[in-house]
Amino acid sequence: MSLSYSFKSAFQSLCREKWINILSIFTVASSLLIITLTAFFLYNIEIISNHLPERFSIVAYLKDNLSQEETQTIIDALKKRGEIVNLKYISKEDAINELQQALKDTSYILEGLSENPLSSSIEIRLKKDFVTSSSARQISEEIKKISGIDDVYYGEKIAEAIYLLKKSIQNISIIIFLTISTGVVFVTYSTVKILFYRRKEEIEIIKLLGATKGFIRMPFLIEGSAIGFFGGVLGIIGALLFYFAITYRLSMVIPMLKTLVFPLEILVLLPVTGILLGIIGSVIALGRLRL
Amino acid sequence: MIAFQNVSKFYENQTVLKNITFTVRKGEMAFLTGPSGAGKSTLLKLMYLAEWPDEGDIVIGDHHLQSLRMPEIPMLRRNIGVVFQDFKLINNLTVFGNVALALRIRGVSEKEIKNLVSEALKKVHLRHLSDSHPRSLSGGEQQRVVIARAIVAEPVVILADEPTGNLDPNTSADIIRLFEEINLQGTTILIATHNRELFRNTGRRVLKLDGGNLVAEEVG
Repeated sequence: MSLSYSFKSAFQSLCREKWINILSIFTVASSLLIITLTAFFLYNIEIISNHLPERFSIVAYLKDNLSQEETQTIIDALKKRGEIVNLKYISKEDAINELQQALKDTSYILEGLSENPLSSSIEIRLKKDFVTSSSARQISEEIKKISGIDDVYYGEKIAEAIYLLKKSIQNISIIIFLTISTGVVFVTYSTVKILFYRRKEEIEIIKLLGATKGFIRMPFLIEGSAIGFFGGVLGIIGALLFYFAITYRLSMVIPMLKTLVFPLEILVLLPVTGILLGIIGSVIALGRLRL
Repeated sequence: MIAFQNVSKFYENQTVLKNITFTVRKGEMAFLTGPSGAGKSTLLKLMYLAEWPDEGDIVIGDHHLQSLRMPEIPMLRRNIGVVFQDFKLINNLTVFGNVALALRIRGVSEKEIKNLVSEALKKVHLRHLSDSHPRSLSGGEQQRVVIARAIVAEPVVILADEPTGNLDPNTSADIIRLFEEINLQGTTILIATHNRELFRNTGRRVLKLDGGNLVAEEVG
């Protein structure tokens, strides 16, 4: 098969049918821009939400009057668990000091106490993947069974919220990506179908001269992927303009926007996605060719 | 070589070709004649599988059409050069581009294409119009381009469907002379025409079709 002919033929068709192609490229670009902006916002929400599990902890309260050896045994048992990133022992004295600091001016309310009512505790931080409501509950229940542990506390609602937030972000991304991708495939499908019908006579001649299905299909596949590629490139330009507009202009009003990160992977992913969706649209448009 | 063995073709309830049996030997140039609607074009179309026979077998060179699989159709067509009555030229390609297309389909290198196309255009006396577009050519010139496209890849068989249908008598005689020259190089040629003047006194075999039947075989 003559690839140079296929490329030349596709290029000529892109130029000859420039208006329909330009229209398709802009439609694909707008669709891919929506994907990019969604990805951009979700990416930044993901970065923020990735830090949330670091703030989540389980607190295991120890029974009173445990010896130093018994406390160390509990700490060693916890360290052996794979779900834990780190843990911190807080003695009764550290706890009351922390409370006094937290109360600041109102710390006088502690003055009437004859003895320290707080327990020693161990603050446990979990790995990101285990910060879910069910994992935290299960780990807490298992820790509670360790001898010397009086009670365990964990922020069930926080764990649940973090998990739900991440799950929702993933689901929204998938829904948006699938919906817009279907749109892009439909645009390239329609364009290639129209171009195919416009060249039907030419295709019939090529068939009679002995062209294979591959030879007939190739220029259309190239044209479909070119529409996707140029749509992707225009989408990137739009996304970059948007990014610089919000980081340089809007951040003067809302300083927080300065912290937004632009995922550089998009510079490659968008044209590649455009090409793939363009090819899919073209393949569906050409369907089963009869020789 | 072209061989038809009891070939029939039906359109719905109508018989277009009925039990056609004939052979055109390798290197022979023969004519197929008959009135309009006799089935000449359909018979040619069966050979390059623009239409499929309903009964019988057709052999073109080494290809038995009855046992031909779909992916083999392009290979069959590459062994046949077809000259269409309505030219079937691509208007946005130049004369060179149209002739070269037959080679590009076969994956021939650009360097070779340049030489072969130039040679084919020389044979049909059109080298000077290489960069022209089909629309700017006369009917006779367009027919010569089609012939150049048909011979450029040196096919085993050339089929011509009313190749002089749109041409004046002088140009028609030129076209037939061109086919004679091509035939001298050993290419099998079958020309379908209703114009008896084309084969009169040529000494070539003439197959007569009427109402879908092969009614006679004579020498022109």
